[in-house]
Amino acid sequence: MTTATNADLFKQRFREEAREIAVDLESALLELNENPDDQELIGRVFRALHTIKGSGAMFGFDELAAFTHKLETAFQDVREGKLQLNTELIDLTLAALDQIRLMVEEEQGPSAEGARICADILSKVRRLTGMPETSPASSNSPQQQVPPDDLKGQARKWSIRFAPGPDLLLSGTNPMRILRELRELGDLSVKADMAAVPRLGAMDPECCYVFWQMVLSTTAELDAIRDVFVFVEDRCELAIEPSSRPAEPAMECAADVTAKALEDKRTGSGRRTHDKPDTASSLRVPTAKLDQFVNLVGELVTVQARLSELAARRGDDEIAEVSEEIERLTSSLRDNSMNIRMMPIRGTFEKFRRLVHDLARDLGKNVELTIEGADTELDKTVIDQLSDPLMHLIRNSMDHGIESPDLRTASHKNSSATIHLSARHSGGSVLIGVSDDGGGIDAEAVRNRAVEKGLVAANVQLTEAETFALIFQPGFSTAKQITDVSGRGVGMDVVRQNVESLHGSIDVASKPGSGTSVTLRLPLTLAIIDGLLVKVGSAHFVVPLANTLECIELTREDIEKANGKHIANVHGEIVPYIVLRDHFNVHIERPEIEQIMLVETEEGRYGFVVDEVLGDCQAVIKSLGRFYRHVQVVSGATILGNGTVALILDPQRVVQDALRAGTTKASARST
Amino acid sequence: MPVILEQSEVQSAIRLEGPIDICCAAELKTLLLQALGSGKKVRVSLEDAVDLDVTAFQLLWAAERGARESGVDFAIAGQVPEQVSQAIVNGGFASLPMAGDAICDEMVHK
Repeated sequence: MTTATNADLFKQRFREEAREIAVDLESALLELNENPDDQELIGRVFRALHTIKGSGAMFGFDELAAFTHKLETAFQDVREGKLQLNTELIDLTLAALDQIRLMVEEEQGPSAEGARICADILSKVRRLTGMPETSPASSNSPQQQVPPDDLKGQARKWSIRFAPGPDLLLSGTNPMRILRELRELGDLSVKADMAAVPRLGAMDPECCYVFWQMVLSTTAELDAIRDVFVFVEDRCELAIEPSSRPAEPAMECAADVTAKALEDKRTGSGRRTHDKPDTASSLRVPTAKLDQFVNLVGELVTVQARLSELAARRGDDEIAEVSEEIERLTSSLRDNSMNIRMMPIRGTFEKFRRLVHDLARDLGKNVELTIEGADTELDKTVIDQLSDPLMHLIRNSMDHGIESPDLRTASHKNSSATIHLSARHSGGSVLIGVSDDGGGIDAEAVRNRAVEKGLVAANVQLTEAETFALIFQPGFSTAKQITDVSGRGVGMDVVRQNVESLHGSIDVASKPGSGTSVTLRLPLTLAIIDGLLVKVGSAHFVVPLANTLECIELTREDIEKANGKHIANVHGEIVPYIVLRDHFNVHIERPEIEQIMLVETEEGRYGFVVDEVLGDCQAVIKSLGRFYRHVQVVSGATILGNGTVALILDPQRVVQDALRAGTTKASARST
Repeated sequence: MPVILEQSEVQSAIRLEGPIDICCAAELKTLLLQALGSGKKVRVSLEDAVDLDVTAFQLLWAAERGARESGVDFAIAGQVPEQVSQAIVNGGFASLPMAGDAICDEMVHK
């Protein structure tokens, strides 16, 4: 691997880490807005800025490091009680965060416009904090390693033992920079202890074996010293203790350190003998590699299905045994690979705190964002495509749903409104909710507007759900004026398109004066699912196993007993069923005995009547393409072991489709 | 390449150029082992090095110790650049071979 490639890799790692830190920083700043005295939050903001600054400097993002350093200094003052935190500083730091994000991504350093904005932000921060034009410790240049004179008079001595973890260097961290930063705090005596360095032949050249013993004479407090190590603290051993000895003892006690290191090595209690689980147990992998891996597993599943088919056809016990073993392993491999793709939705949810904060300020409304179920996991692809729909739903809610504080007060509501984001699993789906306690949707206004725009005929009767569904039509808006936030009738259309492309569905519930709740129902994964393979005529269908309850027989006698109504008695419970052969217009004579597959849907329990249940299968989901994108009852297709194509049914949509066709549930029971 | 090994009849000369960091650590280790394995005296030139990181200091320290134990003549040749000297001081590597006064003036053959 070339040097340039390694440097690029380190930069890429820094970018990935910086993006994560930026999310946490943003979240902490927004929480701080509501709890400005929360010392833990102040510490979180400080550490995030410190980490971005330190890591940025290490990886050559000098402008970023210098810029962040000024903000870090401001928050250091806040933390030490020298500066009162206010909304202006939080807003400035949020604006600075936007620039930090840009600087992290820019290859060629900040643009002229970016530099101007940064200078403007820093100028405002200086005015707010009383910070001088050039901060004493604003860079890592050697000239500034000498502490200011005023620090020297009242310095305390600290004994510091810094033992980096063996893999610290692999993350691109340079301990020498940490020592340099420490030197900025005061007079520093340093002794590198090489006792743990093995023989040359036995050395891992990329491993860190060196320990450092130091004596620091400084006026800085313990927290400030500890902060120098903040972004390596989970990957090193660190001991900072007050020292009454003069600076030289660092050298004198080096023998003790060496002895301890050797003792550690001998007894196996040293840091080299154990890895911290949090650093050793995770690995960053590019998404493209993961996608490729999952695609290959998908192909393997398809080939395995062919093998199973072949084994069954030949009736060879030995091949059947191998096939079963491969099936078991493939299934396990598939579950593991799918599990790797599952991510908590927290990151996506948290980033909307900023949107709500900024929009509330711009619209002059008081809005609090609450989050529930942030640890709910779903496929990364689904998460990636959720941002836009959620953003539009929140913007719409903020602009149209939530009333002004005056109006809320006049309506005897809390002047501060709430937007609630939630996530929870439901069978093979995940439900994402966006609800508010605003004014709700005026169904009559929606209907009138739809008639006005020619979306529905004036004489058509619509249910409430059908009326609310109109807001997702392209170009639909009831807004009297277009604002920067919404009103063009584009956002809700984007929501519909994105959700449909994820094979999801949207439910809207609203009560005038009380608020609106939008629920997105999305599949847990878009790659491979467990399903039951069924046959209707010559057509094959896959029903997701997550929705399936059980299978029972349906005889001619059962049908006659029900007087032709599509209902079955299942363990004493009357369950309506949908005859798929009728629903899909399959014109082949029905067998004597059919099968009812019971499925659980949001509409309740339903039965799907099929000719034959062939057994379970792993379905690698293939998109049906643009031509079939409006076919709602099918979420995709899969290739079976014998090469034929089976359509994957979306039970929820099938039931809804049947209900629509019969208008009501009652008529679905009897056709 | 930032690390170059040149063998002559009498010595193995390793020249370090530019920033010597973790990116070339594996290569430096290999060349140091080759040089020590040759049985000839070993000279390491830092004259064109811009900076040395922890991995480089560790490797040079281990090489010097290995040479001492096996009786191989090992030394830093030529002048140590200011930036490298600064790194030695900053990192507390005073005990390393290039940190002392006895820097071999013998130039590495280029």
